[in-house]
Amino acid sequence: MRKLTLHYLGRAGFALAVLVLLLWSLGPVYWAVLTSFTDPRDMLSEHLSLWPQHPTLEHFAKLFGASSASQGNEVQSVWPQFSRAFVNSLVTSAAATLVTLAAAAFGGYAFVRLRFPGRDLLFGLVVASMAVPAYTVMIPLYRLMISLHLIDTYLGVTLIYVSAFLPLALWLMRSVYQSLPVALEEAAWLDGAGRTYTLVRIVLPLAAPGLIATAILTFLSAWGQFMVPLVFSPSLATKSLTVLIPEFVTRNYVDYGLMNAAGVVAMLPPVLLVIFLNRFLVRGLIAGATK
Amino acid sequence: MATVTIQKLRKNYGAIPVLHGIDLAIADGQFVSLVGASGCGKSTLLRMIAGLESVTAGTIDLNGRVINDVSPKDRDIAMVFQNYALYPHMTVAQNMGFSLHLRKESPARIDQAVKETAALLGLSNYLDRYPKALSGGQRQRVAMGRAIVRHPQVFLFDEPLSNLDAKLRVQMRIEIRTLQRRLGTTAIYVTHDQMEAMTMSDLIVVMNGGRIEQVGAPIDVYDRPANLFVATFIGSPAMNLIEGVLEHEQGLSQVRVGGQRIAMGRRIDLAAAAPVVMGIRPEHLALAPAQGLEFTLPFKVDLIEPTGAESHVYGQTGSTSIVAALSRKDDLQLGQAVHLRGQCEHIHLFDKATGARLD
Ligand SMILES: Nc1ncnc2c1ncn2[C@@H]1O[C@H](COP(=O)(O)OP(=O)(O)OP(=O)(O)O)[C@@H](O)[C@H]1O
Ligand SMILES: [Mg+2]
Repeated sequence: MRKLTLHYLGRAGFALAVLVLLLWSLGPVYWAVLTSFTDPRDMLSEHLSLWPQHPTLEHFAKLFGASSASQGNEVQSVWPQFSRAFVNSLVTSAAATLVTLAAAAFGGYAFVRLRFPGRDLLFGLVVASMAVPAYTVMIPLYRLMISLHLIDTYLGVTLIYVSAFLPLALWLMRSVYQSLPVALEEAAWLDGAGRTYTLVRIVLPLAAPGLIATAILTFLSAWGQFMVPLVFSPSLATKSLTVLIPEFVTRNYVDYGLMNAAGVVAMLPPVLLVIFLNRFLVRGLIAGATK
Repeated sequence: MATVTIQKLRKNYGAIPVLHGIDLAIADGQFVSLVGASGCGKSTLLRMIAGLESVTAGTIDLNGRVINDVSPKDRDIAMVFQNYALYPHMTVAQNMGFSLHLRKESPARIDQAVKETAALLGLSNYLDRYPKALSGGQRQRVAMGRAIVRHPQVFLFDEPLSNLDAKLRVQMRIEIRTLQRRLGTTAIYVTHDQMEAMTMSDLIVVMNGGRIEQVGAPIDVYDRPANLFVATFIGSPAMNLIEGVLEHEQGLSQVRVGGQRIAMGRRIDLAAAAPVVMGIRPEHLALAPAQGLEFTLPFKVDLIEPTGAESHVYGQTGSTSIVAALSRKDDLQLGQAVHLRGQCEHIHLFDKATGARLD
C-alpha cells in the first residue's frame, strides 16, 4: 500500500516536472505566437488572455506587405529589411554549419585515428578555448576583422561563427568516432581503401547520426547568435534577424505585434531543419557490423 | 601463390616487448595455425603481417619482397576478423564487392565474382540483405566471402569461429579448410582451439609469451613435443607429467619415480641424478598389458568422466595427479586401486631444469 502511494507520488512528481519544463520552454513560444495574432487594441487590455480575442493577420500583413499602416499613418514597409536580414541569417548560419561540419568531420577523425606529436595537447587546447568568454576576445577580434576588411561581410561573420562553434563540434565528432569499431576501418584498408576513402565511404556513413546532431547544434547556435552580428554586421549587408527584430522598437512605440510576427517567422527555419534532419537520425546503423 | 618469411620479428608497445624475435617460414599454399595461450602475441603477429601494426625490428617478407613498410592496402592480403567487421551500411553483395570496386573492376565483373563466391559459400539468397539481418554463421561466411572474392596472396584469420556454437564451428572449419585447399591460397589462422589447429593445419606454430615454442606438422608436434609447454598445451586431456630422477644402467636410461624404476629402453644424454619430467598421454595408459617394453603405475581412481567413446579417469599415482583415457568396458569404481600400464616408447622425457625434450 505504502509502496503504491509512493509510486503514484513519484509519477505525479515526474509529470509535474515535465509540465514545468514544457511551460518553461514552450511558454515564451506560445506567447510570441499568440501576440503575433492579437489585435493591437487587445494587447493593451487590462486582463491577460490565453487566446486571441479578435484574431488578426494584420501584423503578418505589415511584415510581408509592400506598404502598411500603423495607427492610421502610412509607414514604410519593413519587408525589404526583413527579407534581407532573413537571407543574411540563412546564408551565414548555413555557411557556418557547412564549414564547421566539414572541419569537425575531418579534424575529429584526425584527433582519434592519426598519431602526431602533441595530438592530445592540441585537442585539450581546442576544448579549453570553449571556456574563454566571448566578450574578452571581442575587441581584439574587432581590430583583426577591421584590418582584414572583413567587417560586415558574409565571410567575416561566417569565420567568426566557425571559430566559435568548431571546438564543440570537434569534441562531439571525436566522441562519435571513438565509439566506432576500428576493425571496420582496418577491414577497409585491407580491402585496398586509403585513409580518405575509408573516412568518406565507411566512417562518415556510420557517423551520420553524430554529424546530423552536430549540424543541428551548429545551425541553431549560429541562427540564434546576437552579439556577433550586433558587433560585426553594422549594416543590412549582413545584419541578421536577431539584430534586426529588436530594431522594430521605435522611439515612441514598441510594435509588439510586428516583432512577434517576425519572431514567429524567424523560428521557422530551425524548426523545419530539425524536422527534416531528424528523419535521418536513424538509430542502430551500426547493428550487424560485428559478432 | 605466396610465401611468407618472417625473420627476427620483434614488437614493442612502448617499452613493453610483446614479440621477442619470431622466425617463421611459410610455403606457398600452406595452412598455418598460430596457437598459444591468451596474450601470447598471436593477434599481434597476424596484424603485423597484415600491416595493421608497425614492425619494431626484423622483417616480414612476402614472395621475396620485404613488406615492413608497405601499407595494408598495397599488400594484397585479406583478413577475416574475429568479430567479422562487416560494413553495416552495405548489403552482402556490396560488402563482398568492396575490394573489387576499389580495384576499379567493371560492374559486370564484380557482379559475376560476387555471385560465384556467394554460391560457393551458400550465400546466394542473401546478397541483398544487410549484415544486421544475418545470423552469426551467415555473417561469418560473408566475412569469408569478402576475403575470398578478391583472390589475395594470403588469407589471415583471427579466431574466425570463436563466436559460433560448437556444431557450426566444426562445420565451418571443414568448409574453410576445403575452400582453402581448393583455392590453394596461403593461409595463417589464429585460434585458441587446439582441435581446430590440429585438424586444419599443415603446420602448427605453438607460441608462448611472445616466442615460438615449436613449429611442425600437427602430428609431429603431438608425437614429439619439443618442450614441456608444448607437451601440455597440445592434446586434451593434457599430457600427464610425472617428476623423477634420471639414472643410467648398462648403457640404457631409467627414471626413478618414488620407489620404482621405469626403464626408458634407450640412452638419454643427460647426467645421472638429473631431475627429469616424464610425459605420458592419457590415451597411452591402459589396464591391459602393453606390447613391448612395459611400465606400470599404481593408480587410485578419484573421478570418472564418461565422454561417450571413452572415459577420462582421474586419479593419483604416488602424489601426482594423472588422467587416463580408458575404454568404457574397464568399468572402474571410485576409490579403486589398480595398475595402469603403458609402453615405454610412449614416454616423453623432458629436462626439468630447461623444460626441453631429451630425446
Ligand atoms: N595496443 C597495445 N598496447 C600495449 N600492449 C598491447 C597492445 N595490444 C596488445 N598488447 C599486449 O600484447 C600482448 C599480445 O596481445 P595479442 O592480442 O597479440 O594476444 P593474443 O595472443 O592474440 O591473445 P588472445 O588469444 O587473447 O587474442 C598482450 O599481452 C597484450 O596485453
Ligand atoms: Mg587475439
